[in-house]
Amino acid sequence: MNSLAAIPYNTLVVAAAVAVVGFASGVVGCFGVLRRRALAGDAAAHATLAGVVAAFVVTGRRDLPTLLVGAFVAAMASLGCLVVIRRFTRTRDDAATALVLSVSFGIGIVLLSGLSARGIPGAGGLEQFLLGHTAALTATDAITLAVVSAAVVLVVWAGLKEATLVSFDPAFAAATGWPVAVIDYALVALVAAMVVVGLPAAGAVLVTALVVIPPVAARQWTDRVPTMLILAGVIGLVAAVGGVAASAAVPRLATGPTIVLVASGLFAVSFFCAPERGWFARRRGV
Amino acid sequence: MTDSGASACPAVEFHDVTVAYGRRPVLWNIDLVIKAPGLFGILGPNGAGKSTLLKAALGLVPLVGGRVTLFGRPLAEVRSRIGYVPQRETVDWDFPVNVMDVVLMGTYARLGWWRRPGAAERDRARAALERVGLVDLAGRQIGRLSGGQQQRVFLARALAQDAELYFLDEPLAGVDVRSQERIFRVLDDLRREGRLVVVVHHDLRTAADWFDGAALVDMRLVAAGPTAAVLTPENLRRTYAGHIDVLDELGRAVARGGRTA
Amino acid sequence: MTIDTAASMWGEFSVMHAWAIATAAVVAAGCALVGTLLVVRRMSLLGDAISHAVLPGIAVAVLAGGRPGGVLVLVGAVAAALVTVLLVQVLRREGGLADDAGTGVVFTTLFALGVVIITAAASRIDLDPGCILYGILELVPFDTVRVAGWEMPRAFLTGATVLMIVAAGLAATWKEQLFTAFDIDAARAVGLPVAAVTGGLLAATALVTVASFEAVGAILVVAMLVVPAATAELLVRRLHVMALVAILVGVVAAVLGYLAAWRFDTSAAGMIAVVLGLEYVVAAIVAPEDGVVARVAARLALGWRVTCEDTLALLWRADEAGAGVAPQPFRSPGEWAAGLWLAASGRIAREAGRWGLTAIGRAEAETVVRSHRLWEAWLGRHADLPLDHLHPPAEWIEHHLGADLRRRIEADVGAEESDPHGRSIPREP
Repeated sequence: MNSLAAIPYNTLVVAAAVAVVGFASGVVGCFGVLRRRALAGDAAAHATLAGVVAAFVVTGRRDLPTLLVGAFVAAMASLGCLVVIRRFTRTRDDAATALVLSVSFGIGIVLLSGLSARGIPGAGGLEQFLLGHTAALTATDAITLAVVSAAVVLVVWAGLKEATLVSFDPAFAAATGWPVAVIDYALVALVAAMVVVGLPAAGAVLVTALVVIPPVAARQWTDRVPTMLILAGVIGLVAAVGGVAASAAVPRLATGPTIVLVASGLFAVSFFCAPERGWFARRRGV
Repeated sequence: MTDSGASACPAVEFHDVTVAYGRRPVLWNIDLVIKAPGLFGILGPNGAGKSTLLKAALGLVPLVGGRVTLFGRPLAEVRSRIGYVPQRETVDWDFPVNVMDVVLMGTYARLGWWRRPGAAERDRARAALERVGLVDLAGRQIGRLSGGQQQRVFLARALAQDAELYFLDEPLAGVDVRSQERIFRVLDDLRREGRLVVVVHHDLRTAADWFDGAALVDMRLVAAGPTAAVLTPENLRRTYAGHIDVLDELGRAVARGGRTA
Repeated sequence: MTIDTAASMWGEFSVMHAWAIATAAVVAAGCALVGTLLVVRRMSLLGDAISHAVLPGIAVAVLAGGRPGGVLVLVGAVAAALVTVLLVQVLRREGGLADDAGTGVVFTTLFALGVVIITAAASRIDLDPGCILYGILELVPFDTVRVAGWEMPRAFLTGATVLMIVAAGLAATWKEQLFTAFDIDAARAVGLPVAAVTGGLLAATALVTVASFEAVGAILVVAMLVVPAATAELLVRRLHVMALVAILVGVVAAVLGYLAAWRFDTSAAGMIAVVLGLEYVVAAIVAPEDGVVARVAARLALGWRVTCEDTLALLWRADEAGAGVAPQPFRSPGEWAAGLWLAASGRIAREAGRWGLTAIGRAEAETVVRSHRLWEAWLGRHADLPLDHLHPPAEWIEHHLGADLRRRIEADVGAEESDPHGRSIPREP
């Protein structure tokens, strides 16, 4: 108890918030993975850089909520571009994703670099959104992130049957009267929201790992969707908190990479040790 | 107008229905009335547009021309009375759901938004599983079932919808003979209960035995009516001997906006 | 040396800029060439993965004493690329992971590993994470080597060498690459060493990625791999033309992007990606056949042709019905315009107070009416449609039946003289 009391309040709050963010990312990521659209979130994630910088340029403010709103707008715009490309061109989905991902990142780099070349004050801190940096998070910001994450989890839990139905059999869902396109967009928007919320922790380049690796790891352990959601949440939570704690040990190390490595470690454990689907279990002929 | 037998009302009406994929028409000017109750087959070669016809009725593909009415009303008003069993190829068998989960999905539409399935829904699901003989496998993940069992799961899901009109897309493709007969008996029971079951079917031999009415489709409607009257050598020749090269070329020309050769 | 001090050292265009542009161009060409095959084989995301995953390979190679851009680094990169592909396959086979999920797991992990290695060994590796992500093209001209008496940027040398290796390798195996790209199963069936062909492509991807690292960094490499090929795909169909167009698109972006970055004082790599995006959008708009402009034009052209033909057919039917009927063909603005054109081109003329067909107009009108009635006959014979449902489909199809198909249909319906309504079918003019 003594050592816990010695940790500054700010750090505790940030750690708790990161835990919630990690949990929510794992939960939301399940549907993207189940629908074989795991990397659409990556396109959104790379676009967030442009959104963050644009928000700063347009409003002149550097507080987290403003920047994250800009990030969310950019994320949704990039996903909108994917839809437009699919609708109006022959370009295939994978090429479209790679295209949107890299060009939107290029826009972000142009904006960021243009700011720093002009010596505009405050532009320097924006680089932290590339690979993650939680040390500068205030308690208020952290609570904001946690609240948004919790809301996302609640929405997913409330609409679990709708999300599962649309992910599993969209044709049957449409035939039985569900607005599949609306539910689809809602799921996409939730992923975009979590990608944005995860930016301070993991950075634009690697935040997609938080929505991909925990669900994939959780799938190894269970054949039921509700269980998978909870497990993915827990794995995301451990990865987020573990990663942040590990990067605190090495001051120069960004948080994004450490979070990813903890998540991958958990995935590796799942890959080998899960009952039935795990590598050892299958070698033993279970 | 052609009809499919006995008494009762027109349950499915296609009025001059044309469907295109992209800009290329694949179904041309289909006029068809199917009356309830009954067991009605949609027959024709592969790629003839049989599944497309079903999807047009269910609003799953957009119509380029014409309209479909079910029970005399547009689809949106009668969805709760329609059951659907899609083709098996489109399913992701690795999805983490078990048999009971899938069958419960048939009860979702009636539950509406946000509500979770309760005891009543589980009972309906269990009853449906009993009808298809799968109640012992309720807890099994769907990827671990045989082809016939998989097909029966989706049939059970449709039964759980408790609909008046059922559309089934190739329910017997790749299914062993015993499961086929089992499935057919369920469909026959539905017909005797006064419902209409419309089935896209691939096997002409069994079609003659099972369906009271049929439609021969090959990009256009070749013939429709009581099965015996439809499955004549002349009609079969017209369908399977393929005059669709004409329709194929025309379809391409329409998509281009130009003339054929 | 920072970008600011470097920039102030230039001031005006100098040979430094030229070298930077040359490096970017050479690197873009290599990426565009490899990217064409990646895009056609739906391996764009694998290219994305490899561009991230080579980082630990580079880091380990540098730690082991390799120089940036040297052979050891290239080897490390290729090894990392092959490890990536292998891991994704293992995850699919043993873990049941779908390819996109497996790719996501592998490349994020490897990239994270690379960043950790670089950060932890920062004292021994001079690679800044920012540089890894978006390169430092502007500083490339300052790191020079001497080759055969010429002083050139090391990055240019690496880029040019890789371009030559990759171009030579792909040119030598072009037929095999083509075959595998279009139908991998058929290629396997005829005994082509598909795994080796794919392995060669992946090795090439790793090479161009590493060569591009210094210029544009890990993420914008993806832009140079995918966007030129995607743009070319919108414009041309044949694979080798596509490759050439892609190279052109990439090089243009390299030049314009660099110049724009100089003008607007921002990152060259980012600008190159932005220019690539703009080229893609332009291609989507102006592409022949598929582009937005082409499609709108085609739709308008069809509508015009239909209106003209409908007008001619209307006049012909009025003649057939009898002299007492005075047709009113021109009610809407579209029909008026069609009427003006038809009159100007000598297909209709005004006589005795009403519009009538000239000889040319009559021939064309008969073609349309013949198409209409032949189609009604065909439908009547081959489709189960009631009599009053034959007219609307024929109204539609009459504009799409060509002479050859008309003859075949005529042969099919037995050279009948009349359509199902009993009206006679005009002969072929």
